[in-house]
Amino acid sequence: MNKIITLPSDFNEIEKTKDLVDGYIIGIENMCVNTNLCISIDDLDILKKYTSKDIFISINKNMHNSDLDKIKEILIELNNYNIKGVLYYDVSVLSIYKSLNLNYDLVWAAEHLTTNYNTINYWNDFGVNYTYLSSDITEEEIITISKKSKSKLMVTLFGYLPMFVSKRHIVKNYLEYFKLEDNSKINYMKKEGKTYPIVDNDIATQVYSDSILNGIKSYININVDYVILNGFDIDLDKFIEVIKLFKSVNKNNVLEYYNKINNMFVNTSLGFLNTKTIYKVKKNDK
Amino acid sequence: MINKPELLAPAGDLERLKIALKYGADAVYIGGPALSLRANAINFTMDEIKEATTYAHSMNKKVYVTVNIVLHNDELDGLTNYLKELEKNRVDAIIVSDPVVIKEALTNTNLDVHLSTQASTLNIETAKFWKEQGVTRIVLGRECTKEEIKDIIDNVDIEIETFIHGAMCAGYSGRCVMSNFLTNRDANRGGCSQICRWDFDLFDENQKEIKGDKPFTFCSKDLSLLKYIPEMIDMGITSFKIEGRMRSLYYVATIVSIYRKVIDEYCNNKDTYTYNKEYERCLTNCANRDSIPQFFNGIYDSTCSYYNGREEVSNQDFLGIILDYDENTNMAIVEQRNYFKKGDIVEIFGPNHDIITYKINNIYDEDGNIIDVVRHPRQIVKFNICEKLEKDDMIRVKKVDKTINM
Repeated sequence: MNKIITLPSDFNEIEKTKDLVDGYIIGIENMCVNTNLCISIDDLDILKKYTSKDIFISINKNMHNSDLDKIKEILIELNNYNIKGVLYYDVSVLSIYKSLNLNYDLVWAAEHLTTNYNTINYWNDFGVNYTYLSSDITEEEIITISKKSKSKLMVTLFGYLPMFVSKRHIVKNYLEYFKLEDNSKINYMKKEGKTYPIVDNDIATQVYSDSILNGIKSYININVDYVILNGFDIDLDKFIEVIKLFKSVNKNNVLEYYNKINNMFVNTSLGFLNTKTIYKVKKNDK
Repeated sequence: MINKPELLAPAGDLERLKIALKYGADAVYIGGPALSLRANAINFTMDEIKEATTYAHSMNKKVYVTVNIVLHNDELDGLTNYLKELEKNRVDAIIVSDPVVIKEALTNTNLDVHLSTQASTLNIETAKFWKEQGVTRIVLGRECTKEEIKDIIDNVDIEIETFIHGAMCAGYSGRCVMSNFLTNRDANRGGCSQICRWDFDLFDENQKEIKGDKPFTFCSKDLSLLKYIPEMIDMGITSFKIEGRMRSLYYVATIVSIYRKVIDEYCNNKDTYTYNKEYERCLTNCANRDSIPQFFNGIYDSTCSYYNGREEVSNQDFLGIILDYDENTNMAIVEQRNYFKKGDIVEIFGPNHDIITYKINNIYDEDGNIIDVVRHPRQIVKFNICEKLEKDDMIRVKKVDKTINM
């Protein structure tokens, strides 16, 4: 059975969900994107409260030269804690990890690049034992990958999906340019009746999908190690209700639960689970 | 002795490839019939790739083929055969982002492998890793500052390629799939529908609209590093890349010829080199957005944003291309590309001569009749000009306006 882990927003959420989920993904401050709860490396001791959980730490931002010493410091420090793995995007994390003798695993979490089994196996050959699958692939592709890849797999099946990361401060720049005031932690951009959450923090600008992925039907069809539920910008009580539905879903009730989730939110979708993105090289008729 | 960097130009088809090389590019990068990140461009067939490499090699120049999509399961089949075909057709290197392509190429072919900017290499450790895997060149992420580029060059013995001119992505390459979500076109498989150029309405966390004088957008100004070319040559960058496989013949010719001149002038005599504002004017007139240095100078603030909505217009400066020149009659044969008329003051530029400023006098149609205006697309006309012109020289509007904000 797929284990369930979440991207909690705060420790209050962890307290309220700790009996429901198998683990959490938590970020390190200034080193991660698309991660709801980020803590300082000095505050890692708090993880000792949750040793029974599978804890994954995210340092998944794009790394520049100035980040390299910090990566090493974090990777060494994390060895003092009972964590399951570290999520990374930038290859520098793997390079530094390999130079150290650490007792946790790495998770190749390159967001939209984790789309085929051969590339997953490529990284597995370097000792990367986990892959966090892209949200842009279909259920069918996930099933094929789970059959043909050597790595343990994670996949998001609920929540708003990340679709953009930039070093540029897209919102702050707009405010500054037109001399506008706003201190929102989350902004929203709208187009043609659709609303997209956008977060512009110290690290990056991050934009999310307009709809909440409701992948509970896929939960019973796929065989991965961890299913991730993301509570970003979702009411906590409703999110807890969703976790409970995922915990108890089976073949007999899946349609009912699927509809329940759809009825809880006005903007759910199946994302790309049942829709292939278009890829077609234009024909040259010459 | 200065190591002269390679000038690398985009080419959307054979015509543009030949123009790019003729106007001074040392190498061109093109898309093949599969696995290329410009799926909407007319990409090269294998036969055309063969013709391209034959043509380029005859000039002692190179052709690189992009194989830089992020592969899904379905694209894995046939990959090795495709790479072998590219090798057979004598491409000089492939530009790759998915590691599985690197592995297949290095295992099954002798192709040189360049790591695409799509892989967002931004630091020394990552560059070292890819060198160890057999990659011979890294196209750095566009977010690198000059200091970061220099650090990577000083610490990793590998060829480094950087962008010097063209459009910029709003996000980190590979991390933007807005196109997937908003139009279902796969950005990492060549279908980017440029959502970053769209306007949006912006709201705060209480759903109150935040409205400036212009709409909210991700749109960035373009990149131009013209002024920094000498500094970049001194840094030891191997290859200077111009963005834009979808760009026009005129754009490619203009941009390539300007950067060719700057590179040559500096490398030929570093001590006497001076920055030429005229070159800046030519680049500016060819652009449809403002161009600035951006991340190279560590700047990515609001001065880099482009808030003019979608008001950029297609460039009308390109008036015609020289098909032939008769030295006996001093008659140039021209194929029209935009409206021009008798009395217009134009500039004629080409790879082998300085810019000629010329007031158009009598214009003749193909039958020798005098005409006042040339208004039909691709109309063939003739006019007299004493200065010797060459096939593929180009005629453009002479104007002085916008400036590059360096």
